Amino acid sequence: MESTKKYWKGLEEINKTPEFVEKNKNEFAESLPIEELLEGSGLKAATPRRDFLKAMGFGLGAVSLAACNVAPVQKSIPYLIKPEEITPGIPNYYASSYKGGSILVKTREGRPIKVEGNPNCIINKGGLSAQAQATVLDLYDISKLKGPWFKGAEQSWEDIDQHVKGELNKIQASGKTIAIVSSTINSPSSKAVIADFTTQFPSTKHITIDPVSYAGIITANEASFGKAVLPQYRFDKANVIVSFGADFLGSWISPVQFTKQYVSNRGMASLNEKRMSRHIQFEAGMSMTGTNADSRIAIKLSEEGPALLALYAAVTGSSLGNSSLGENKVADSAIKLAAKELLNAKGAALVVAGSNDVATQTIVNAINSALGSYGTTIDLDNPSYQFTGKEADFSVLLADMKAGKVGAVMFLDANPVYSLPNTKEFAEALKKVSLTISFSDREDETASLCQLIAPNHNFLESWGDANAVEGYYSLVQPTINPIYNTRQAEQSLLIWSNNPVSDYYTYVRNNWEKSVLLAAGKKWDEILQSGFVVLPAKAVGATVFAGNVAAAASFVSAQSKSVAKDVELHVYQSVAIGSGQQANNPLLQETPDPVSKVTWDNYAALNPKYAESLGLAQYDVVTLKGGEYQIDLPVLFQPGQAQGTVSVALGYGRTKAGKVADGVGQNAYPFLAMSNGTFQFANNVTISKTGAIEELAQTQTHHSFEGRNIIREATFAQYKEDAAHGSGNHGAKHETYDLWNKYEQPGHNWVMAIDLNACTGCGACIVACNTENNVPVVGKDEVRRRRDMHWIRIDRYYTFNEEGKQITEEKEIDHIEGRMENVSVVHQPMMCQHCEHAPCETVCPVLATVHSTEGLNHMAYNRCVGTRYCANNCPYKVRRFNWFNYWNDSRFDNYLNNEFTQLVLNPDVTTRSRGVMEKCSMCIQRIQAGKLKAKIEKRPLVDGDVKVACQQTCPANAIVFGDANDPNSEVSKALKNERTYYVLEEINVQPGVGYMTKITNTGLQEA
Amino acid sequence: MASHHESILREPLITGKNITYSRITEEVLMPVENKPNRAWWIGFIVAAAGAGLWLFAVSYTFWYGIGSWGLNKTVGWAWDITGFVWWVGIGHAGTLISAVLLLFRQNWRNSINRSAEAMTIFAVICAATYVVSHMGRPWLAYWPLPLPNQFGSLWVNFNSPLVWDVFAISTYFSVSLVFWYVGLLPDIATIRDRATGLRRKIYSIMSFGWNGSVKTWQRFEIVSLVLAGVSTPLVLSVHTIVSMDFATSVIPGWHTTIFPPYFVAGAIFSGFAMVQTLLLVTRKVLGLENYITMFHIESMNKIIVLTGSIVGVAYLTELFIAWYSGAEYEQYAFLNRVSGPYAWAYWIMMTCNVITPQLFWFKKVRTNIPLSWILSIVVNIGMWFERFVIIVTSLHRDYLPSSWAMFYPTWVDISIFIGSIGVFFTLFLLFIRVLPSVAMAEVRLLVKSSSEQAKKKLMAEGKVKAHEAEYYVESLEKYDSVEQAEYEKI
Repeated sequence: MESTKKYWKGLEEINKTPEFVEKNKNEFAESLPIEELLEGSGLKAATPRRDFLKAMGFGLGAVSLAACNVAPVQKSIPYLIKPEEITPGIPNYYASSYKGGSILVKTREGRPIKVEGNPNCIINKGGLSAQAQATVLDLYDISKLKGPWFKGAEQSWEDIDQHVKGELNKIQASGKTIAIVSSTINSPSSKAVIADFTTQFPSTKHITIDPVSYAGIITANEASFGKAVLPQYRFDKANVIVSFGADFLGSWISPVQFTKQYVSNRGMASLNEKRMSRHIQFEAGMSMTGTNADSRIAIKLSEEGPALLALYAAVTGSSLGNSSLGENKVADSAIKLAAKELLNAKGAALVVAGSNDVATQTIVNAINSALGSYGTTIDLDNPSYQFTGKEADFSVLLADMKAGKVGAVMFLDANPVYSLPNTKEFAEALKKVSLTISFSDREDETASLCQLIAPNHNFLESWGDANAVEGYYSLVQPTINPIYNTRQAEQSLLIWSNNPVSDYYTYVRNNWEKSVLLAAGKKWDEILQSGFVVLPAKAVGATVFAGNVAAAASFVSAQSKSVAKDVELHVYQSVAIGSGQQANNPLLQETPDPVSKVTWDNYAALNPKYAESLGLAQYDVVTLKGGEYQIDLPVLFQPGQAQGTVSVALGYGRTKAGKVADGVGQNAYPFLAMSNGTFQFANNVTISKTGAIEELAQTQTHHSFEGRNIIREATFAQYKEDAAHGSGNHGAKHETYDLWNKYEQPGHNWVMAIDLNACTGCGACIVACNTENNVPVVGKDEVRRRRDMHWIRIDRYYTFNEEGKQITEEKEIDHIEGRMENVSVVHQPMMCQHCEHAPCETVCPVLATVHSTEGLNHMAYNRCVGTRYCANNCPYKVRRFNWFNYWNDSRFDNYLNNEFTQLVLNPDVTTRSRGVMEKCSMCIQRIQAGKLKAKIEKRPLVDGDVKVACQQTCPANAIVFGDANDPNSEVSKALKNERTYYVLEEINVQPGVGYMTKITNTGLQEA
Repeated sequence: MASHHESILREPLITGKNITYSRITEEVLMPVENKPNRAWWIGFIVAAAGAGLWLFAVSYTFWYGIGSWGLNKTVGWAWDITGFVWWVGIGHAGTLISAVLLLFRQNWRNSINRSAEAMTIFAVICAATYVVSHMGRPWLAYWPLPLPNQFGSLWVNFNSPLVWDVFAISTYFSVSLVFWYVGLLPDIATIRDRATGLRRKIYSIMSFGWNGSVKTWQRFEIVSLVLAGVSTPLVLSVHTIVSMDFATSVIPGWHTTIFPPYFVAGAIFSGFAMVQTLLLVTRKVLGLENYITMFHIESMNKIIVLTGSIVGVAYLTELFIAWYSGAEYEQYAFLNRVSGPYAWAYWIMMTCNVITPQLFWFKKVRTNIPLSWILSIVVNIGMWFERFVIIVTSLHRDYLPSSWAMFYPTWVDISIFIGSIGVFFTLFLLFIRVLPSVAMAEVRLLVKSSSEQAKKKLMAEGKVKAHEAEYYVESLEKYDSVEQAEYEKI
């Protein structure tokens, strides 16, 4: 039913006034100010209260919403098309080589961040040196050139190529020599490239010169045996080793390889079989090898010749004239004892000498020959190609350059302007060459004098190969795209010589396929995975010594007499910096010297007693003047240094290496003396005090262990009687009581065992730990203030043997009347001991450091407020505090304050901010990764799945890490060893790291 | 409670003639109600400059990091915790005077308790600044407090002596502040009643409506007693807990059971020395000789010689126990203290804390104002070195000789320490300008019984035995504020 009712809304409606009718025509009774609003005049009107409130409400809301976004925007670029082989968060490993040894390069999201030794490599056997560990940082060095450099500006490669080709053709036409100056090249492909280049430009000469040369040995072998090679030494086969100044564990030829061999006769495994080699070291400076010797006898450099002659006489029974050691009675009798021991071990004896003198090495050859070392401990038929440089060739080139016979010089991995004694002469000669090219990756000392720099790739960006020792071929493969506009040197040579194969990858592959792969019967892809090929060793031929001993002896005598003047200078390679090639690497600069614990500098090492007699105190700056050349260096008191000698490390005093190395230390290369065609490491200098004082940055300044039983030792004779001798493992242990309840450790219990007899102190673990755990480099000043950040350190303690007794306490050392030459040394790696009753944990007010059920002492950086109480209460002093924001503070810009270098950081480990404590985590990220992997593979974690960084790189296998809950794990077995003791176990902190006693094979001297 | 009869044999606590309640008020409020004099301005400018230095050095530390101090991986605490313990120790005298002496009815405390308590509060403030500034991340300084939080509900570590410290110091500070302020109420009311305008309004608010009624006074007395009861254990507990920062650790030289009593004695020792240093100057500058008399000075010197001797015995005990323990590390730690590279610090400590205070056995020294003042400063120096010796020489050579290191302060370390003294004096000088530095209400209590004039009156009235009067007059000889001539007549 339709409603007929009508409701009215107002009197106007019922009355139907004309106004109402008018208004009711439109939808809205009153006209809306739309036009006004659109014109903008509406906005100019006074704001009504409601609008004001609305605007305010919106404004408040908007502002508070906008303010919610506090997190900084992190721009990350996801893969548009994900490469098949890269999974973010999962590392990839590629086989490559470093200095001829096979390595595995760990890459994350396409950037190499760590290198490890290839466990199958016959040279390294999985161990790596500090230098190899630090090398990833070289890739991210901001001091490198970003592209080819010509006429003081960056140029395109096309322009460079055009210019060089033109010039080379001109030089070729003029008949002048084209010289390629390189350090040792043992890469078959590089050699082939140079050979091809020589075919194109027949006047090419390839000159090899190493900064530290072994030409003396090579030349002596040529004279003695007709084989101009550097032999392979087999320290593993030697029962008695006598070294004359050869630092074979630290810097001589192939230290990692030798360490592996050496320790195989001295570590836990051989000691368990009651087997230990005997090592006698005669040397002037205190080398790392000397610190490991069973008997170390300090001799002057001038006594080295007579000592060798005396040894020859004692071994062969035929005197070579004046073979007495004169006043050095200790050395004299030691030589006689050494000869006896060597003869007893005939066929398993080895004599090595660090000298680069041909005559000296000839005598060594004669002794080794008499001891039957050839074919047993020395292999001449499967030689080493690690160093093939010959300075005699270089002298010829220099003469040619001066005579204007050389049209072009190219420098490949060679920096002679820095590493030659006569730099000025060479730089002058260089001016006479019309085309000078350097392949250096930076504008170094030589490159800066060259017209043109064609920067080479870093080896991590390169293809290549190496043949470090006979029959061992390893591959270099790139692990990252070239970062800068650089080009591989070999490729440059291929292009300049118009080689039909201008791509070096193809060239290497072709070269391998037609030679090595053919011989080994393997495929390219297999080698890419395994990294190397071993061809069967050559049969050892008969070796007959045919050298002229008499001539050599008279030369050695004469040479010794000429050196026998005050003060005898000994230049050597330090373990970390070596020849100085990697000097711009801050990790190496901050690696403490294994003996002196000095970082960021070289110094004049003097025996304390001798320095006193010269009126010198520690850190006095002295001028060393030899010939025309002089340098100012601070004095370091070095116990064990021979009287009347001073040792100075090479590799420092770079002027154009880059931001890190420039101005660090002084260059000692100019002290090298040319004699008989080789550079000698012995020379004479005068020492004078300058009056200045410069404190060296040492990580350890107290050098005796004060007779505390933190170091426990035994002689080999005692050990054979009783394996637990000196370890404190006799009788019942003290009963201990716990304040805390025992807690369950159902899963793993991570612990560590360290063999003090294996550790050589080389410091590779320190660098490995630094790169793995993003440990910052703090620089010289901070180290001087004792603020080094290393999570693992190697404590080095001296013991003085004076008047038949051992002196370890400082107050007695101060009163030693003797010569401070007869020193024993022990190296003790020290890191967080992950105590079960950790003193650090109880004192932290905020629970930032706590214990895990797996026996680890954790550090929660985010929770740390930085009271430093934990560090104070740590009996081992292994906690490290971030005094500054080392990652982002321009005052500590050693390398890390730029985004490029920060690409080296391990993304699995957070970087620590200022004000936070840090310390060894036992590579918790590796433990987690290992557990995760086992879980994914649905299997229990097995021993060896997880290796911590220090353990993995240790060339001496001195560190064993694993699960103590697994009775069959390597570490459980090691800790059950009779030699095992715990440092400071008497304070019942229950450390998780066990140490094994140091055993010294005192040999005949004791008898 | 102080207006009972007092024996003539007791020495007067207030000297001078015509001491009336209003005169006390006038004299005590003189610096509060008048413009400051030149001496105050000079003192204030020097102190404020020190405080400015403190502000700069602390800001520098906050900006760059703790690395600007001389600390290293071996010595993680040095001048910071030395300063902290030193300041906390100094505070102890105030609490002892205000609480323990109140409970023991030692009326001589009445004239000195106000300044001593103020000193306590300012010293604890100085100590607290070290607590915050020594942290690596001071912006997280509230984390050691057990606050409910959203960081996964992280709690503090109740095993850590630093957490005990947080409780000890914060309790100490709050109780001392309350005690001090409650004591101030009647005096603030006095100022209020005499002030006009804005000052009157401010003091009116600050006086919490004090009306001087009997009930108010009664409550005041009760609250004072209660607070004294609460504070008394703090005298012992605070420094005991501070000592546990060291005693519960494993570091040789720290790990010692003697620390709690030894630290408490040391704290009282240094606290009284600081009171002495301050009051001897204040008394002279503000003309309060009649209220802070030779009796007070001598009494405090007696406490100094007592506590100094306790500390000395503790030092020798430590040495003996180190030798007797046969523990290698312990023995070396103490041998190193005595003869190592920081031996000079040890011997400064020994001289200043043990040897020179023994001079106070002589009455002539005890009652000699310049000597007392010098010796009080010597004690302050000695006590600073005591903490330095304990902290730095124990840390710098502990278990593994490879880590042995030396500590060298930087300009920041030194500036923060000098600056904290500036902060302390700035606060103290401001205090004497705005609040009465002597507790007027409590001193007034003494006028009728323990003042010189009251006793003189008794003597004049012949209510005192002659030989006792003679003894009394003799005891007045040491007073520098008593006119000896007046007694010749009697």
